[in-house]
Formats: sequence, structure tokens, C-alpha cells
Amino acid sequence: MSALTFTLKTALQQRVDLSALTPDQLAGKSKADIAAILLPYGRKQLRVDDAFDLHGEDTANIVFANSDAKLDYIGSKMKSGTITVNGDAGAYLGFQIDGGELTVHGDVDAYAASGMSGGLIHIHGNAGDFLAAAIPGDRKGMKGGTVIVTGNAGDRVGDQMRRGTLLIEGNAGSYCASRMLAGTIGVLGTVGAYVGYGMRRGTLLLTSKPVMHATLQDCGAHTLPYLSLMFKSFGELPSKFAKIDKNRVQRYAGDIANDGKGEILILQ
Amino acid sequence: MLIKLTGGKVYDPAHQVDGKVTDIYIRDGRIVEGQHDGEKIDEEYDLRGKIVMAGAIDMHTHIGGGKVNIARMMLPEDHRGDLVAHTEHCRAGCGHAAPSTLTTGYRYAEMGYTAGFEPAMMPVNARQTHLEMGDTPIIDKGGYAMLGSDDFFLRMLTAKQDQNAINDYVAWTLHASQAIGIKVVNPGGINAFKFNQRALDLDELNTHYQVSPRDVLKALSRAVHELGVPHPLHVHGNNLGVPGNMETTLKTMGASEGFPMHLTHIQFHSYGTEGDRKFSSGAAAIAEALNKHKNISADVGQILFGQTVTASGDNMRQFANAGHGSPKKSVIMDIECDAGCGVVPFKYKDQNFVNALQWAIGLEIFLLMEDPWRIFLTTDHPNGAPFTSYPHLIRLLMDKSFRNDTFAKLNLDAQAMSTLSSIDREYSLYEIAIMTRAGAAKLVGLHDRGHLGVGAGADITVYTDQPDREAMFAKPDYVFKDGELVVRNGQVVKVTWGSTHTVRPEFDRGIEKDLKKYFDRYHTINMENFKVRDDEIAEGGRGKVIIQACEGRREKSE
Repeated sequence: MSALTFTLKTALQQRVDLSALTPDQLAGKSKADIAAILLPYGRKQLRVDDAFDLHGEDTANIVFANSDAKLDYIGSKMKSGTITVNGDAGAYLGFQIDGGELTVHGDVDAYAASGMSGGLIHIHGNAGDFLAAAIPGDRKGMKGGTVIVTGNAGDRVGDQMRRGTLLIEGNAGSYCASRMLAGTIGVLGTVGAYVGYGMRRGTLLLTSKPVMHATLQDCGAHTLPYLSLMFKSFGELPSKFAKIDKNRVQRYAGDIANDGKGEILILQ
Repeated sequence: MLIKLTGGKVYDPAHQVDGKVTDIYIRDGRIVEGQHDGEKIDEEYDLRGKIVMAGAIDMHTHIGGGKVNIARMMLPEDHRGDLVAHTEHCRAGCGHAAPSTLTTGYRYAEMGYTAGFEPAMMPVNARQTHLEMGDTPIIDKGGYAMLGSDDFFLRMLTAKQDQNAINDYVAWTLHASQAIGIKVVNPGGINAFKFNQRALDLDELNTHYQVSPRDVLKALSRAVHELGVPHPLHVHGNNLGVPGNMETTLKTMGASEGFPMHLTHIQFHSYGTEGDRKFSSGAAAIAEALNKHKNISADVGQILFGQTVTASGDNMRQFANAGHGSPKKSVIMDIECDAGCGVVPFKYKDQNFVNALQWAIGLEIFLLMEDPWRIFLTTDHPNGAPFTSYPHLIRLLMDKSFRNDTFAKLNLDAQAMSTLSSIDREYSLYEIAIMTRAGAAKLVGLHDRGHLGVGAGADITVYTDQPDREAMFAKPDYVFKDGELVVRNGQVVKVTWGSTHTVRPEFDRGIEKDLKKYFDRYHTINMENFKVRDDEIAEGGRGKVIIQACEGRREKSE
């Protein structure tokens, strides 16, 4: 069976909510049923077949081709299967995703992986602001699973993140790991100002020393054996992080204005 | 414009009409005797086989004021989890426990409600409350002004000022805040909280002012009565939610010394301390006392299971409950140094011992209270459950087997502590009409609402008689508001804007001399700006102020 492919055929005037098009929700539906699904489109609604050409029938493997940055909520709440996005994706990519694999060949907008609790998101491109962060009103951002970004990420990466692994191969913007509660963030490039602002617990792994604000405290150089185990666990991942084999770091604790149990580790 | 409603089975307890087939005529928004000679009927609705009642009145529902907005701000998940798209007639909205103003109005109308009263309107917040209620479409509204923990009043009590001065202050507050009644929340306790007291019983003194809740209740219930305000003092007692608080509630019933008093959300005040877990039902004793004290009325504040948010002026008790919040967040705050506010989201669970017993206690009170004219159907929206659960609650009251089936699924320990399944009573349609229409209108003092007599405002709800009372009350066939068809088959077909009901008792304006001094020295705004004017409520012709008569005005005190 070939993957169920949605090829965008119209120029979108408004944002579209694609949360209805996940493997779990489409399982067992006929092509005609899927074509008739109404998607929120600005203040109106849009039939799936008015926006997309449909090919293939395997609902467990979904492809969005010719994708556009106005397509929001791709893979929202998905629990299994795969979604591949060829092109850019909008905001809330993988919102509250609990399982399965979500791959994007393009850039994604804000709040990707927000509320994520399981599965794998692989973004071959850049991510917007609030990657793996909590949406307003929620108390926790990402809560599990793995996110890999090959490009750069925007501001507030991992804001209120609670668990899981977030690996950024490029740079991250300001307030990286702000208000982080737990979990692991790795950034191979640079990070912006106010890194670890209000960070409570959790680990932020960097390769070069950023500008640090006053409430991050230098704790000296350490050899941490657990890092070898952690990098070994990354071995299977399709990421540059899989090739790192170091366990000597400069350790900073913080944000000591907010408990100070977080740590920023800078690989030497 | 003459409308005829033909052949409906009418339930109008205000006129002792219990299911009699009668025609109703509406001319220009009022119920009239019949046609003039030769007058043509413009519209006729064939209601044969249908049930006809006055529009329902919710006499205690938090639909406006600061705390509702705080709940909205604090719970974006409540809004994004319950989105309502716009329709041909209605605008979009959202919210399950704390819906947006527009959605609140539409949902009430779609359930056959034509009026709702905000029970905790801080006088200093009255302007915002009225603006918010002014944005609530279709239904009529009004507010009860909150007194009893404000410093001006407590100073009067401490100084032992005479009752006439207190009456003048109460009347001035009713005028200034455009209220229809007076509410007291945790009498004196909100103030005591600021002096680091974390509990206050009926006869315990506020450490700063040296006055007890009993003093507050006595002075205010008497003031309201002597001013002739139809709605008795609306009391949210001390010790809300505390096991064993039934003793306080029983004592509170005597505290007004015979003056009328309304005890609100009494379910939250009817807890004993028996059993292994020191939490039990006090419903039997409370209902017996209610049956005995004819000057006391109550609304239940039934809880129903699910996610909601508790919003109250009682910051003392909300502070104590904040740890139980779900999701875990809360706002406990002071408002303008004159009162308080506490908002705590809450999820009632049917397998939780305390929640399941609270559910049973509420229903026990409903069923053991003999006089339906003195007990009212509320969930203290949104504290016990959102108002949209009223049809479900009505079914629980009217259908014994449904009630017992639901009860049998609850926490087993709670079932063992409740006598609910042994109560056979089922409410009749006539009694439901009393609780939600005639009785509520009488209690609030709406002389032209809640009944279907000649001259009444044509707020009328028409239902299809169905054995499933929940389905019946959830979706009326027709709802008329002031003679206009606003809902058909449970869907809004026309959006109108209701009126704001107030009372204006007479009083001695001399009180303003003292008040002006007090405002100039302590308050955040000027006394003249404190007063809400009619044209602010009228808002370009959309709203309207209706002044209900203060009948039964008593002579002033010695």
C-alpha cells in the first residue's frame, strides 16, 4: 500500500487546522470520507478535497506534499503511524503528540512539539519560537519523546519543558530553556541572551559558553560518566548528536533565583 | 402585534395553574387578556400537547464581575477546549466553566432561561459587572451588592451607629451600584482575613473591628427588611466547605432574629463530622431546620461531576482550598481594599468520597425540603457545575430510578454514608416551575416576571413533554423574551438584549456627607464616580434599567 498523500493544490488565504488528519483519526475511513472532512479555515471551513489532491490509501503513513506554512496543527495528538511533510509547516506541529514519527522537510512555525508526550519529531529545517514550550495557560511544555532540529530554533526554546529530549543542531534564540522544569535540551550552535532564565531543573547541553546572566553559577569542570551513557543512547538517532563522545564539561547551576537545580553543561 | 399561544398545558404556580390547557395572548411584549373586538392575530403558535411555563430565572449565577474575568484569564484551556462557532444569529464564543458573555446569554436562552442574577457584585466593581452583564444577550439580569466586609460598614458597627444610619448606607449602596439585593459573603471574614485570621465562626470576633459575623447578619438582614427590599439578605455563611459547618449554618438561621434571610449554596454549608473520615451529611438536620424557619430560604448549590472553576468573594475559604485546585493554579486577591476574591479551578470526581457525598447531600436537601417556594435550583454556577447542567439536575430531581442508578455508580464509601436511595420523592413539573420560576421571581422581587398572569412580561418557555426530563429541559421548542421569539428548537433565532433589574429604596441622603469624607480620605475613586448611572447600563439603547418596587416598606426604627 502506498502512503496516503495530501498534495496542496490551492494558494491558502487563511490558516488551516489539520488536527483531523492524523493516522489515528483517519484509520478505517474511506477516501470519500476523508475527502469530505471539513477543516477549520480562518473563520470558515474547507473540505479536504478542495484544498488537497489525494493519492494512496495507507492511513498509517501520511504525506503532506507541497506543504505550506499556513498548515497548522499537523500531527496534533497523534499516537501512532508516520507523517511526512514535504515543505514548510505552520504552528503547533505535533501538538500534544503521544507517539509515532513526524518528519518535516522544511521549516516549521511556533509552538512545535508543545505538550508533546511521546514519539519522534524530526525537523529538517528551522523551527520557530516556543519550540517544545507550553502554550499560554498550560503549566508544562514538552513532557516526553524526542525532537531533532537540523537547523536553527527561535526564542523561548523549551519554555516550561518537563521531560524528553530536544536536540538542536543549529543555533537557538533568546531565553533558551527558560522556566524549564526537567528534561534535556542540546544545542550544537550558539544560544541567545538570557539562557536558562528562571530554569528550575533539567539539563541544557551546549558546545560553547554563551553570555550568562547573574544568577547562573559556575560550578567548575567535571567529568560526568553519565554523559557517555546519554550519548550512547543517542546512537540510533539520525542526528549529529549520535556522533558525540565526550564527558568532560564545564558545569553551571541555575537559575539560582528559581531553585537553582538546573544545569548548563558546556562540552570541552 | 398580537401573538396567540394556543392550547398549551400551562404551569403557572403564581396563579395556582397546574397543567391546565389555556391560551395565552401577547401584545407588545406583555401578556394580555385576549383580543380586542375585531383585532387580528398576527402570529399563532399551535402548542397543543406542549408544556408552557414562564421563562426560568436563575437567582444565583456568577456571570459578571471581576472574579469571572479572572477565571477566564486563568483558564485559557477552558476556552480553547470548548469553542463555539458563530451562526447566522450568534457570534462565536467559547468556555465551558467560565463562558464568554455572549455564549453565556445564548446558552441560558437555549435552555429556556430568561433571567440570571449575579450574586457577588462588589460595589466598587459594579460598573465592570454591569458592563459585562450588558454584553450578555437575551436574558434579563441584575446583581446583589456585596456588603459586610467593607470597612465603612464595619466601622459603623464598631461605633455602634444606630440602625437607621446602617439602613441609609445599605440603601445608598443599592442605588450607587444599581443592585437588586444585598449579599454578604463570609460575614466579616473577608476583612478578618486581612488581619491574619484564617477562620471565623458565627460568634467569633474580627480582631480588628471587634464585631462578630452574627452582628453583621443581624444589622444587614434588618436593614434590607426595613428598607422594604423584596430580596432578603443573601447570605454566604461562614465556614464554607468545612466538615462540621452544619452547626454554624443552623446557628446562622437564628442570627437574623426573625428577619428574612436567604442562605445560598447551602449544600456547601451542610457537612457533619461523623464516620471514619469525619465527613458526613448534615442534610437531614439542615432540611428540618429550613422546614421550621419560615423566614429562611435557600438555594442548593448542587455539585455535578466534571471540570469547573470555583469563583468566590470568600478569599478566606478559597485560600484554604487553593491546594485542592485542579489544574493546580489559583488566584487569591484583595479588591480595592474593600473585599476579596478567590478563584480556584476544581474537578469534581464521582469516585472521590467527599465529592460523591457532596453530590448526595445537595440532592438530599432538595428532596427533604418540603416547601418548594423556599428552595431554589442552582449549582452556584460555576462553583458546583456550569449552569448548562441544569437539565441533568432537573432529571435527577424528577426521576427516582435515574437518580438511584446514578447514585449506585458513585464512590461506595459515600453511598454508605447517604440516605439518598431511601428517599422516594420525585419533583413534579409544578414544583420545578415553582423553584425555577414563580418562587425565584418572588424571592428576587421581580413583580412582572416568573408568572403568566395578565400584565406580566412575556418571558415564556415551551417544552415538549418527554419522559426524559433532561432532554426536555435542555431543548425547549420555543422561548419568548418580552414577546419576541428568541429560541426555536433549542437554537437561538433572534438576539435581543435584556434589561437590568434594580431596586431603589428611599433613604436619607445625609449619609453622603460621611461617605464623601470617607471616599476622599481612603477610596481609590471619587464618590460621584463610584455611582453607576442609568445611561452607562443603557449603553446606546441596548440595555435598560427596570426599577422593581420596594413593596412592604417597614417603619423606621426607634
